[in-house]
Amino acid sequence: MRGVRRTAAAAIALGVIAALVSSGTALAQSPTESPQEKVVFDVGVDSDITGLNPFNLCCGPDYEYLELVYDLAIGFSREDLSPAPRIVTEWTPSEDSMTWTMKVRDDATFHDGTPLTAEDVAFTFTLISKYKMPFYKDYFPFDPTFEVLDPTTVVWKSTEPTFAPEIPAYAPVLPKHIWGRFDTVEGTPSADEAKEVRKAVKEFENNPPIGSGPFRFEEWKKGQFLRFSFNDDWWGGDSKTIDEVVIRVYDSDEAMVQALRSGEIDFAEGVSPPLFNTLKNDPNITTHIADGGCWGNIAYNFGGQGETATNHPAIKDLRVRQAIAHAVNKQEIVDRVYQGTAVVGDSILMPGKNGFWYTDIPTELEYPYDPAKANQILDDAGYLDTDGDGVREMPGGGEPLNFEVMTITDVEGSVDTGRLLKGYLQEIGIGVKFITVNTNKAYDLWYTGEWDIYVWDWCPDPDPDFMLSVFTTDQCLGWSDGCYSNPEYDKLYEAQQRALDRNERKAIIDQMQLMIAEQLPVMVLNYWSDLQAYRSEWTGFRPSPNVENGLLLFGYTTVDTYLELTFASEQAPGTGASPGLPAWVWIAVAGGVVVVIGGAIAARRRRVEDEA
Amino acid sequence: MGSQRYLVRKVLHAIATLLFVVAFNFYLFRIMPGDPITILARSQHLSRADIAEQIANLGLDKPLPQQLLIYLGDTFRGELGVDLRSGAPVSQLIAERLWPTILLVGISTVLSIGFGLLIGIKGAWQRGGLFDTTSLYTSLVFYSMPEGWLGMILIVLFAGLLGWFPAGQYESPADLTGFAHIVDVLNHLFLPCLTLTLGYIGEYAIVMRSSLLEVRGEDFITTARAKGVPDRDVRRRHAVPNALLPTLTLVFYSFGFVLGGAVVIESVFSWPGVGRLTYEAIGELNYPILQGVFLLSSVTVILFNLAADILYGYLDPRIREG
Repeated sequence: MRGVRRTAAAAIALGVIAALVSSGTALAQSPTESPQEKVVFDVGVDSDITGLNPFNLCCGPDYEYLELVYDLAIGFSREDLSPAPRIVTEWTPSEDSMTWTMKVRDDATFHDGTPLTAEDVAFTFTLISKYKMPFYKDYFPFDPTFEVLDPTTVVWKSTEPTFAPEIPAYAPVLPKHIWGRFDTVEGTPSADEAKEVRKAVKEFENNPPIGSGPFRFEEWKKGQFLRFSFNDDWWGGDSKTIDEVVIRVYDSDEAMVQALRSGEIDFAEGVSPPLFNTLKNDPNITTHIADGGCWGNIAYNFGGQGETATNHPAIKDLRVRQAIAHAVNKQEIVDRVYQGTAVVGDSILMPGKNGFWYTDIPTELEYPYDPAKANQILDDAGYLDTDGDGVREMPGGGEPLNFEVMTITDVEGSVDTGRLLKGYLQEIGIGVKFITVNTNKAYDLWYTGEWDIYVWDWCPDPDPDFMLSVFTTDQCLGWSDGCYSNPEYDKLYEAQQRALDRNERKAIIDQMQLMIAEQLPVMVLNYWSDLQAYRSEWTGFRPSPNVENGLLLFGYTTVDTYLELTFASEQAPGTGASPGLPAWVWIAVAGGVVVVIGGAIAARRRRVEDEA
Repeated sequence: MGSQRYLVRKVLHAIATLLFVVAFNFYLFRIMPGDPITILARSQHLSRADIAEQIANLGLDKPLPQQLLIYLGDTFRGELGVDLRSGAPVSQLIAERLWPTILLVGISTVLSIGFGLLIGIKGAWQRGGLFDTTSLYTSLVFYSMPEGWLGMILIVLFAGLLGWFPAGQYESPADLTGFAHIVDVLNHLFLPCLTLTLGYIGEYAIVMRSSLLEVRGEDFITTARAKGVPDRDVRRRHAVPNALLPTLTLVFYSFGFVLGGAVVIESVFSWPGVGRLTYEAIGELNYPILQGVFLLSSVTVILFNLAADILYGYLDPRIREG
């Protein structure tokens, strides 16, 4: 009797496993050979987007998302990042530069099928400037108004002469039929009314986002991936190969690099230097060092933050800053801290990102590495080591030159650069006491001025205005590093804002860059790189701007590159599925577990019966 | 009578702990340096006025005691506030991350407890034997490894070199449904689950082993043997049930921590769970998210501890009396 039961149980168990296996293999057909023919381009990034609302953008891949889904009014040329037609195809100033006439293209439509017209462009500009939307509002100075003449013409009316309209506003053209509900105030809004609108706009979820860009938004799995499909109706042309772009988020750089090696992703954005160097030898992978758009620096504290400031008096002496500049070996920092992936920098504007505006600083203002000269300058200025402890004192004795150097643990290279800096300063008789903190704490100390020197970074916009503003007196307790103040520089800053001719403005900006290089409120150490790597079967990348270290993707208007990519390989590119064991293995494992547990239970029952 | 008082005391104790934790969490995160708005503001080039407006919008300009009252009120009404960065409700963000965490941490906890106890029992019973020494040392080696490092080694090996498993994340960005989706998730689950399981087997094995060794020397075991009970039954009927008591505490304790997620492993494997949400929130001082996650995991830890206490009192009457 018992034997029969056991046999029956075993037969049923086997039957269940067999059924599972057969149905599983039939259903699953493992993800690797799925029938879809879609060509998916997988991009790995190191952080998720902030949100889908363009008014909540911040950093990382936010802007890639923005440009995939939305069109800018005026874009950036991939040749040199100069203004280039996008939704707005022409912009012409009046004689007095107070009125600009903009032509809007007539062949653009939003992803929901609604045509994009001059109404949408005027609406977007109005929403931003009328309610002073943070970040974007600076593109629309002097309280302009926007008038729609006909479906393809917008007139930008400024209250003062301006060149602002031809600086590409890095703002998406929004569909009026979706965002129009937020423009609730007739005429000029009061401060409180504007505040209410700003709050409402920022709280809008915007899911799904409707833009007019080259890709339609498909889905966002938070913390995992974003999926976009090519927009067949895009005014700018067809995609050669790619049907979908997927942006995958990897919290760990190592995992992202391994995913690139295994072909799970096709492109890795923002690889760290040590891992990047290991990818160089992989025959399946092409590496590319691009201009990262940020520069590393040491900045000085001039005081002015109030009673909390603890700045050292010697910092204000230009000769001390010059001596430090001569003592620092910028090339060594690049080689040792950034493992050769950054380049030595000289100006607060960058040769790649700021292209036209960048000034190559003459050698004598770069204060080349020369510790002997640095010591000489300090000796001549009267900073002598009177007590023989290896640290100089203020002229005439007194406070020793011990500087508090703030380094920031989560800013790449900051701590290591600080260590080298300590060595350089010791060479010239300056002592260093480190304050090593994370970014959060660094912001606190920055505003209270409790530091002498810090090692941090800046990332300028393509238009130089913001970067230049950082060194003006007004920015003390705003974005100024250490409340540097120079009335002459302030005047130049205002003059460049009012210069209407590009070359005239450039001449002023040249002067400003030289002034900063000479006066050293900051010392530009290096231009960082954005390390990119991709599977070698993909071709069609071209750097933007079109220089050796232009960005392949994740740059200004580089989204067009997705449309130009093709793959030269017998192996079909990824279909979006990840590698893994086929379904039958999992079913076998599950079956095995059932058998083991079932066996154990049966054995136990048998024993219980034996004992009974 | 006695057992009822025991129960009431334990429940009251749990409620008091919870209240303390809720208030303590609030201050804990605010002691951390920096302020969240400035952190976001630098990359957006916000002006001081814009920053002030943001701070006011989020209620961060009010005095701390007032913020605490608002927070307590909201919490008791079940509102956990909004994400400072995107403005999405925190309860929704946590809910989205809950399932992946339960899957990963839950399964690996079950597996490591299962294997750990088996290894501990078998090892203790054949103390000093080949199985005991090899299994004990292996599991302790894994236990003492930094789990993030172990995870990376597995990624390099199985994802990068062999290409058998994905290097991270929860699922493929492809339209997979039904059974194919389950297989896809299992493939993504394998490496992080293996890492966590390997990492925690040692903990259970060693507790089980030492507790069983202790029981093995007790008089009732000798008595059982003297009665002629077969060795297997001495282990199964007499030794193991008694040795399980201390292990039970550990097991309940571990399950209490499941919902808090595995911060390191979820980050290494880009697993969209609660642990990773915490990790990201700490970086940007996202108070509401941190408060929400800590509240959730405090509640579960306290509940599981309460359950363990009650069960313990039931299994071992001596505790109730004390």
